[in-house]
Parts: sequence; C-alpha cells; structure tokens
Amino acid sequence: MLRVDKASLYFASRDGRPVHALDRVSLDIPERALVVALGTSGCGKSTLLNAMAGFLPLSSGSITLNGHAVEGPGAERGVVFQKDTLLPWKSVAENVALGLKFAGVGRAERRDRALELLRLVGLEDFADAAPYELSGGMRQRVGIARALAPDPAILLMDEPFGALDSMTREQMQELLVSVWARTGKQIFFITHSIEEALFLGTQLIVMSPRPGRVVARYDLDFVETFARDRDARAVKTAPTFAGLREEIRAIVHQTEPNRSAAQ
Amino acid sequence: MTDIAAANSPSAPLTEAPPRVVKMRAFGIGEYSTLAISVATGLALLALWQFVAWTRLVSHLFLPTPSEVVDAAISIYRDGYANASLWEHVGASLARIVTAAAIAIALGAPIGLSMGLSRWAKGVFDTPIEFYWPLPPLAYLPLMIIWLGIGEVSKIALLTLAMFAPIALSAQAGVRSVSSERVNAALSLGATRFQLLREIVLPSALPEILTGIRIALGVGWGTLVAAELIAATRGIGYLIMSASNFLATDVVFVGIGIIAACAFAFTFAMRLVERWLVPWKGQS
Repeated sequence: MLRVDKASLYFASRDGRPVHALDRVSLDIPERALVVALGTSGCGKSTLLNAMAGFLPLSSGSITLNGHAVEGPGAERGVVFQKDTLLPWKSVAENVALGLKFAGVGRAERRDRALELLRLVGLEDFADAAPYELSGGMRQRVGIARALAPDPAILLMDEPFGALDSMTREQMQELLVSVWARTGKQIFFITHSIEEALFLGTQLIVMSPRPGRVVARYDLDFVETFARDRDARAVKTAPTFAGLREEIRAIVHQTEPNRSAAQ
Repeated sequence: MTDIAAANSPSAPLTEAPPRVVKMRAFGIGEYSTLAISVATGLALLALWQFVAWTRLVSHLFLPTPSEVVDAAISIYRDGYANASLWEHVGASLARIVTAAAIAIALGAPIGLSMGLSRWAKGVFDTPIEFYWPLPPLAYLPLMIIWLGIGEVSKIALLTLAMFAPIALSAQAGVRSVSSERVNAALSLGATRFQLLREIVLPSALPEILTGIRIALGVGWGTLVAAELIAATRGIGYLIMSASNFLATDVVFVGIGIIAACAFAFTFAMRLVERWLVPWKGQS
C-alpha cells in the first residue's frame, strides 16, 4: 500500500515567489489497485508522481510505501516516463535488465529475466535490437518491461502513452491491462485522456490546477470487465461508460482556470 | 465491395514503363554527392599551380613545379634531410603528439567529468583553465623551455597543455548534456552513485569527449609544428624550418604535404573510433 498523506508542495518560481503545486493531496493505493490521476496540464499530477518516485521532496505531508517513508528514488518504485529514457548504447534486453545489473544479478540470469519480461510485453523477437530501431509504442513497452525488472512494489506511470498515435495507444492500454492482471502490481497512472482514465482505472482521481488538488474520486470496474472479457469495444460503448465520461468531462472543464477566470 | 476492390487494384498494367519517381524539392545542396566536384577542383588547382610555375610568372625560387616537389619528396624519402631520415622526422613529431594526446586525455577526461559533477572541482579547475586556455600556446613556450629545458619534455608539456583544455571542457559539457530523465530513470532502477556514473553519465558524455579529442588534435598539430619551428632538432616543423633557411621551397612544400597527410589520417582515425565507440550518436 502506498499512502500519500496531506502532501503539499511549493516550487520557487523564476521571480522567487513560491508556486503552490500540490495542496494537501491524500491518496491510498492499495494492493492490486490501478489508480489513475486525471487532469489538465499544470494540475500537479506529474508533480505528485515525481514526489512518489522520490525525485521531488514534499514541502509538508508524507508519502509512505508499506509503512516506510519515501525519501528518494528507489528500485521498489518502478517509473515509466512519458519520454522514453532507454539507453541507446545498450540493446533492448540490456536496457530491460539494467535494474537487475544495478542489483548485482549475474549476466545469464539477467538475460533470462529480460527475455521473460520482453515476452510479457510481446517483444521477445527484438531482444538484441537497438532501442532507436524500435517504434515509439515498442519503446514504451520496453520501458514498462524495464520498470518491472527489479520487481518493484508499485509501478508509477507518467503519461506513458501520451506521445503515441491513438491506435497504438489503444493497443498499449490493452497490453497494460494484461500486464497488470498477470503481475498483480499496484499501478499509479497519469493521463489527460478521460477515456483512457475510465478504461484503465480501478480508482480515478480528478485533479484541478493552481493549486493542484483532488476534486473528485471514483471507484471503477471497467478495467476488471475488460480483463475478464477482453472486449474493449463493449466496455467503451457501454452507457455507464459514456455517462461517466460526460460527467467527468464537465468536472475537468470546470477546473480549467481560463474558463473560470472569464466568468 | 466491388468498388473497393476495383479501387485497390493497380490502375496501370505491369507492361507499361516504370512510373516517374519523385521526391520533395530540397533546399541547399540536397543529398547529391560532391565528390566529383571536389576531385575536379583539386585537379584544377594542381593544373593552375603547374601552369603558373611553368610560365615563370612567379620566381622559380618561390614556387617550384609540382613535379619538382615530388622529386624532392623522393629524395628526402631516400636520403633524409637535415641530419635525419624522413621517418625520424615524422616519427619525432608523431611521438610528441601521441604522447601529449595520451596524457591530455588521461587527465582531461576525468577532470572534465569531475567539473561537470562537482561544484568544488568546477570551482577549483575553472580559474586556471579559463586563464590559460585562450592564450596562444606559443606565448608560454619560452616559459616551458626555461623551466623544462630544450628537450622533449618542454614540447610535450606545451602540447599537453594545449590539448588538455578542449578535452576537459567538452567532458564537462558532456556531463551537463545528460538529461535529468535519464538520471532519474537510473535512480528509480536502484543505481548507486558509482553505477550512475559508469552506466549513464560516462557513456552519455562519450560523444562530446570524442569531439573534444578531435578539436584537441587539431589544436595539437598547429602547436606542434609551431613549437618545432622554434626549438627542435627533429620533426616535420624542424624540417620545414631548416629548408626555409636555404630557400629550399620544394622541401617546404613536402613538409606541408606531410603535415596535411598526418592531420587527415588523424581525423579519419577519429571518425573510425567514433563509429566504433558511439554508433548511436545522433540516433536518439
């Protein structure tokens, strides 16, 4: 269980005034949960993820993983970035095995484990390719396999599919659900796509900007339906799905600062 | 359905002439090779040289013909020049530049990396480097000779100093070019500080370090020949200097040709090293 308790965070802006990025955000990510954070850009969702990953310290509040305070980056929290951060001088398999290398795992075992993870994301045939030979969607799959390699307790995903075309994106969502169902990891997933958030989340939090805070929470079961029936079309065309999509769209639009400032 | 099938079938029968292949119009030189133009320019310059020398527009003493230069090259190759064989001259210059490059890389790369990583290293090394790097090396050659003598040590020290700064500064720039996402990714995979340095920072900085070495070799050749002109009894620069004392212009040309060939060979070797060490350069 990852627990965020009244997390507040201020950045120093360029003119020295503090910018309020997170305002007393509280959030629990239980075992096996897939929690999705949705919001417009600037709502603090990436800041929240960076704090969970340990890249950013909090101004106040706390983040704990299974009771231990988060005080910096660590292998028990795997991160998948929006921009792929694969190392071009290593092969795909070596990239996947990077965390195992850091942990001191031997070469042969690293290779076996990397191949196993590449099989999980459907890239076993590309183990010896260079990362720059792969398409954007394939690179993100390698990124997911790499984050899973050290067997983290939680996977933090920062708009991982944001730069992909919509067809690849849907494939990646379905792949992520299989990975989630297969590994049983708890996942924190950031997106600005309402449909993606509804389709993937067991829990959904909607965030609003300036200062970043949680304005709505939902418990969802679309992802479990999909994991069972594997019929994305049926899930996404269901009346409850469409109804929630409009409801959340209204909430998100309300939080847009330009709109509220104009009225 | 039949409409779609018809639309998908190729409209032209296979027996017709191949279609005209087109591509986007390019601005600038485009992608056509300039090799033929370059070769033609080289030949034209040679012809112009031969012509000017042949017409005696310029005194023969100042401008020998190409064939005389070739003759001089053959005679130097056979008999040596100024108390040493051709290989002794070339070998002396190469030994100086290779030794100095090795020392400059061994010192410059780690110091430059530490300057990119540590505020203390940056603060300490910035002052001397920023002070001496803009100076022309020949300005402090007299000091080197006074301190270290007229032998090899002073010349190698001079070359090392001249080559050290570009390597150190590019290594420092290489560290700065490492993206924070890449660092964060490694840290969240459990990298220690040492692993981060070895697996992420060093390979990320390698392309810039190699570029720095290439610049350093360019600076090195310039400094080497100038130093040999002033204080040496062996070397390509010395060969040129002693030839000019006797107005042996053809030998001066031979010396210039040798320097050009060596510098070209070094550049070519660096390209091969880059292709071998950083095949990913420009790919991500």
